[in-house]
Amino acid sequence: MMSRIGAFIARNRRFVPMSVTAILSVVAYILGAIFYPGMRDPQVFLNLFRTTPFLLISAVGMNLVILTGGIDLSVSGVVALTTVAAAALLRQGWNAWVVMGLMLLMGMALGAIMGAFITYLKVQPFIATLAGMWFARGLCFFISDDAIAIDNPIYCLLGQTKILIPGLSDPKTQTGPFISILVIVALLVLGVATYLAHYTRFGRAIYAIGGNEQSARLMGLPVERTKVAVYTLNGFCSALAGIVLSIYVSSGHGLYARGFELTVIAAVVMGGTMLTGGEGYVFGALFGVLITGVTQTLIQFNGRLSSWWTNIVVGMLTLIFIGVQSLLAAQKGRRAAKAGDAALQAQRRRRLVLYGGVAGLVIIAGVVISLIAGQTRNGGVGNTPTPSTAACQFRPFRDQEAAKLATEGAVLVYERNGGPDCIDELFAIYPDGRVVGDNGVRTIEKQLAPEEVETLLGNIAERGWFTDEIYNTWHTPCGQCFEYHITVKYQGQEKSVTAVDGGTDAPADYWQVVSLINGVIPKFMDVP
Amino acid sequence: MNRSPKKDTSSWRAITESKLFFPLLALTLILLVDLFFVPGFFKLETKEGHLYGNLIDILRNGSTVMLLAIGMTLVIATGGVDLSVGAVMAIAASVAAIMMNPVIIGVKLPPDLLKFINDPNFTYAPLWEVIVVTLFVATICGLWNGFLVAYAKIQPMVATLILMIAGRGIAQLITNGVRIQIFYEPYAFIGSGWLILPFSLYIVAAVYLIAWFLTRKTAIGLFIESVGINARSSFFSGIDEKKIKLLAYTFCGFCAGVAGLVTSSNIRTSDANNIGLNYELDAILAVVIGGTLMSGGRFSLLASLIGALVIQATTTSMYALGVPANAVLAIKGLVVIFVILLYSEQVRGIIRRLTAHKGSLS
Amino acid sequence: MEDSGYIVEMRGIRKEFPGVQALADINFFLKRGEIHALVGENGAGKSTLIKVLTGAERPDAGVIILDGEEVTVKSPLHAQKLGISTVYQEINLCPNLTVAENILIGREPMRRGRIHWKAMNDHAQQLLERLDISIDVTQLLGSYSVAIQQMVAIARALEITSAKVLILDEPTSSLDVHETAQLFNVMRKLKSEGVAIIFITHFLDQVYEISDRITVLRNGQWMGTYETSELPRLELIAKMIGRSLTELDEMSKIKLESRKNIKGEVLLEARNLGLSGAIEPFDLDLHAGEVVGFAGLLGSGRTEISHLLFGVAKPDSGTLKLNQEIVKKFSPQASIGRGVALCPEDRKAAGIVDELTIRENIILALQAGRGWFKYLSLQQQYEMADRYIKLLNIATPSADQPVKNLSGGNQQKVILARWLATNPQLLILDEPTRGIDVGAKAEIQKLVLSLAEEGKSCVFISSELEEVLRTSHRIAVLRDRKKVTEFAGEVDEHTIIQAMAGGEA
Repeated sequence: MMSRIGAFIARNRRFVPMSVTAILSVVAYILGAIFYPGMRDPQVFLNLFRTTPFLLISAVGMNLVILTGGIDLSVSGVVALTTVAAAALLRQGWNAWVVMGLMLLMGMALGAIMGAFITYLKVQPFIATLAGMWFARGLCFFISDDAIAIDNPIYCLLGQTKILIPGLSDPKTQTGPFISILVIVALLVLGVATYLAHYTRFGRAIYAIGGNEQSARLMGLPVERTKVAVYTLNGFCSALAGIVLSIYVSSGHGLYARGFELTVIAAVVMGGTMLTGGEGYVFGALFGVLITGVTQTLIQFNGRLSSWWTNIVVGMLTLIFIGVQSLLAAQKGRRAAKAGDAALQAQRRRRLVLYGGVAGLVIIAGVVISLIAGQTRNGGVGNTPTPSTAACQFRPFRDQEAAKLATEGAVLVYERNGGPDCIDELFAIYPDGRVVGDNGVRTIEKQLAPEEVETLLGNIAERGWFTDEIYNTWHTPCGQCFEYHITVKYQGQEKSVTAVDGGTDAPADYWQVVSLINGVIPKFMDVP
Repeated sequence: MNRSPKKDTSSWRAITESKLFFPLLALTLILLVDLFFVPGFFKLETKEGHLYGNLIDILRNGSTVMLLAIGMTLVIATGGVDLSVGAVMAIAASVAAIMMNPVIIGVKLPPDLLKFINDPNFTYAPLWEVIVVTLFVATICGLWNGFLVAYAKIQPMVATLILMIAGRGIAQLITNGVRIQIFYEPYAFIGSGWLILPFSLYIVAAVYLIAWFLTRKTAIGLFIESVGINARSSFFSGIDEKKIKLLAYTFCGFCAGVAGLVTSSNIRTSDANNIGLNYELDAILAVVIGGTLMSGGRFSLLASLIGALVIQATTTSMYALGVPANAVLAIKGLVVIFVILLYSEQVRGIIRRLTAHKGSLS
Repeated sequence: MEDSGYIVEMRGIRKEFPGVQALADINFFLKRGEIHALVGENGAGKSTLIKVLTGAERPDAGVIILDGEEVTVKSPLHAQKLGISTVYQEINLCPNLTVAENILIGREPMRRGRIHWKAMNDHAQQLLERLDISIDVTQLLGSYSVAIQQMVAIARALEITSAKVLILDEPTSSLDVHETAQLFNVMRKLKSEGVAIIFITHFLDQVYEISDRITVLRNGQWMGTYETSELPRLELIAKMIGRSLTELDEMSKIKLESRKNIKGEVLLEARNLGLSGAIEPFDLDLHAGEVVGFAGLLGSGRTEISHLLFGVAKPDSGTLKLNQEIVKKFSPQASIGRGVALCPEDRKAAGIVDELTIRENIILALQAGRGWFKYLSLQQQYEMADRYIKLLNIATPSADQPVKNLSGGNQQKVILARWLATNPQLLILDEPTRGIDVGAKAEIQKLVLSLAEEGKSCVFISSELEEVLRTSHRIAVLRDRKKVTEFAGEVDEHTIIQAMAGGEA
């Protein structure tokens, strides 16, 4: 029995890494569902896809690049540039479809340029794409220093349309589990890329180049053309991911997607693709993304771990994967020419199962431990200390004051803290339409119609404010990023949620709410 | 007796072929631009016994990258690269901050001490202990990288990527995700103190001297270069490639630890998310500008230092010229490409053909 | 046009590289459906000739006629289109793709715009069956042995066009007896289908087993083309190393030098020392003050023995004793510490560190033996460098020249200097005089003998028989990875060559 399993695995060795990840994600999810009843809601599972479409799109493109043995560090820069450029153009009133098309072209152009540098001028991919990342991100700030909100009907439509899952939801009342259009787009990209990789000569050339570039050239394959094309394709994917991100958060900012390239590479590696090139499956990117999503979900449901634990877990998983990959590669190298011995084959099979098993056990153990042993750490919510940055001193949160405002009748309390000038703005909106803002130096006021307040609250509730969809997240803010504390009272319910921008872990709809609020409150003009 | 190279080649050739030539040239060009376009750039003045001026700024702000570049030079010279230096800086800063102020991780201080927590003279652990433990931890990180590369034979970029991802998480873990403020004055002196010149410069000089001694006064430098140029020939000559690489990465970790101390004492914070962010790229760039090939081989620590200064001078000059802060990044990207191309074989070949020399290059 | 019976005619091919005449007026004729062996020692010109035929190099002069028509082969891809396919020693395939893909990549069958995998797999299966190979073509190439990989490479080579000419460059170097037999079956099958095969090898037994005709090259010159059945082994070897048969007969017996210290203590004792795939287990004794020469053709196992003795390779059988102590640690570093030195055959890959200066190259091994911290002072280094520059007459303006700027011969001298500097008790020299001018060769031979006089031991490996004879007290003969015999006292070239040839003279 064992030998038969061993033989099966040996015959399909190349699928092992990807399968391990897939199995792990499933197991981890099942474990989570056992511990946290909330996870049994099918919507939670679907949210794995809803919150990660840009990661998936980017991982697919990156997978192709890594398969050729290269790497593309510019993805975060291109994503950020896409969000900012798109937001700026939309603000000028350009047509959404035109803007999206333009962004895709821009991404492809950047990718092609980097690809040319790498292929023809023989610049190392690491350096060329790094420079590309700096350049792209830098360009963002030529366009705008601040975040630019997006208020385009097509964007809203794309972001908020719910696609109900047939069989699980009720079409009459339009309720039930759903996914978004963006998810469909991401899955489409995955499908197209998989087709490319396995059914076109272009795709096979990619694998050949990754396996042995010299041989590929000698075999007459169009190596140069393929390499440039791969980087161009990844540029397209980065731009597409940027478009999806900007739809998701309804804004564009040069600070978005910081460190994104690492997450993407981690997802690709965990999907079973070796960084040395030539081995792995594009479809594996899906599993790499899934496991990242499952990790995030588990942490969210644990509620007591700060979201930066995701980074650690992802880092550790990547470590284990890379470690096992390298061990297997070294094994392969060592056996060199004499592969005909049957006994040797059997030994190798056993070793393979052993490694796979050990790695799997370690990972599962790690996940379980971090689930169970999640201590209450201060790094969680609501206890953010007062830090200081090089540029300015952070001001403390006014938790007490915010709470007081809420009890004194405000239906919405909104505090925005941080940024390059370390501001702290506290707004309160009252049911009679009064909006009061205080930035610690002065106060401003604005009068809205009570109906506007009512609509605002209604919209916020519709975004799922009072459901499990919106939850606290927190990570140490970047120097330019803001922390948000929002308390909403509506129809007898009251809920406070915190988030920090500049990352991709906060629930999508949170940012929709922020832009809704930003749409009505007055601005402190002296703060840039 | 052939005691020293005959000066049969013209002194001009000797100068241009020296490793210091290109970096110095680049630095000079940038300073020239400043001379013409920024009035008062070179003004130096003394205040309270400290020297101030744009030039001093360049030196001071560049100390972090200079420190990283020293360690990175050795790693790149062996044919590898270390992407984790930024994360190691963060770890070092976290360790140091926690040792001075461990309240965050739950160490209970007696109430009479507790009120001194923000006092500039208070530290939970003595300064020397803080420094030693921090550097020890950073060195262990380097050792870890070295082990992965030299003994587990994992590709350097991949091996150090692991610590790059996980390292920030570890730094967060140490401080519980909190950005700890540092009040202890003597510690802050490291990065922001002055001894006529900024104190960090003296630290750079000290680390440079250690590195110089290690590589040029022992056989280590020769072995590093040999391994980087031709690992197999070095093997046949009896050089243990594994130990050399282990040393290079360990020292790089050490340098990152020092850089972490300097930076965190400068901004008086341990910021696990942002300290050292993208610094590894600057360090690699500095080494490349300094003439060390990414494939390994001959290196010059001094040239790498100048390379770091070139990067810093570019940034400072751009600010002085009024380029908006965030646009600097874009310019940096272009500079990288320009420099890399200049050093690349293809482009050099083209340039050589265009400016055909008279007389052979031997 | 009359059918000359030749599929390939190469006339008057000349090729010069800076400083080296690689091919001088070579004529090479390949008949249809024959297996033609191309043999020659190092530097004979075999690879250059093949590169010219396959378009990797352009000849300076000469004409190539393919199937009756004159052609100019522009590139390897062009050669493939013309019907000339090559399978190199390093199998130029992608181990991460399946067997079928490797055979058909770039020309996969398509159906409705996408790759038709089933058709591809079936087609590949057929192609392999033509070679009497039946394996699972959907498995990755890398999971198969080198022998199978080679078959796949051949299948690809044949598939591209109906190949008229198949060139096999050292195909049997990594194959065992069984796999070689398999390859030969394939070759015979192809021959029966009219494919002409050029078979490059240094295994003489195989030449005699499979080939119809043999062409010998030496130093860029064509030494002759013969029917295999009509060329005795002895004559073949004689041609390869540059002696005519009559010369051999007329050569008087050369007495090997007898020296005073020859009965020194046993320095090195190898018993049953071997490494599978590299060299069969052998016995060897070395005495202090003795020079043992190794004679054998390229590929006979000379370098492999040197690697075992120096610790570059670990043996998988037998024991090695140095100064009565069993050697446990096999590494260059340990060997240097024990006083063993190897001046390796592959100067570029295992010898020089090209960017480093002459001085640095010379002191490198000595310094490695001293470790990191006992750094030789600059003064000492320059002294040492100068000493050897003078001793070996290294042509250089200064000791600070990077070694890459030196000529091949001078580079060789630098490597030699490096090992002399370690003051070893056993110095192994593998082709130490390759590329060195005649005068210097004599110097080095004298040097070796004087080392022996000082009580040191030497192992002298060279393909120049004369050299080996002049410098050695004893000669061991290697053939096809086996040490066959030893000679001492009186021996002449004829006898040695006979031992090298084996089989019937």
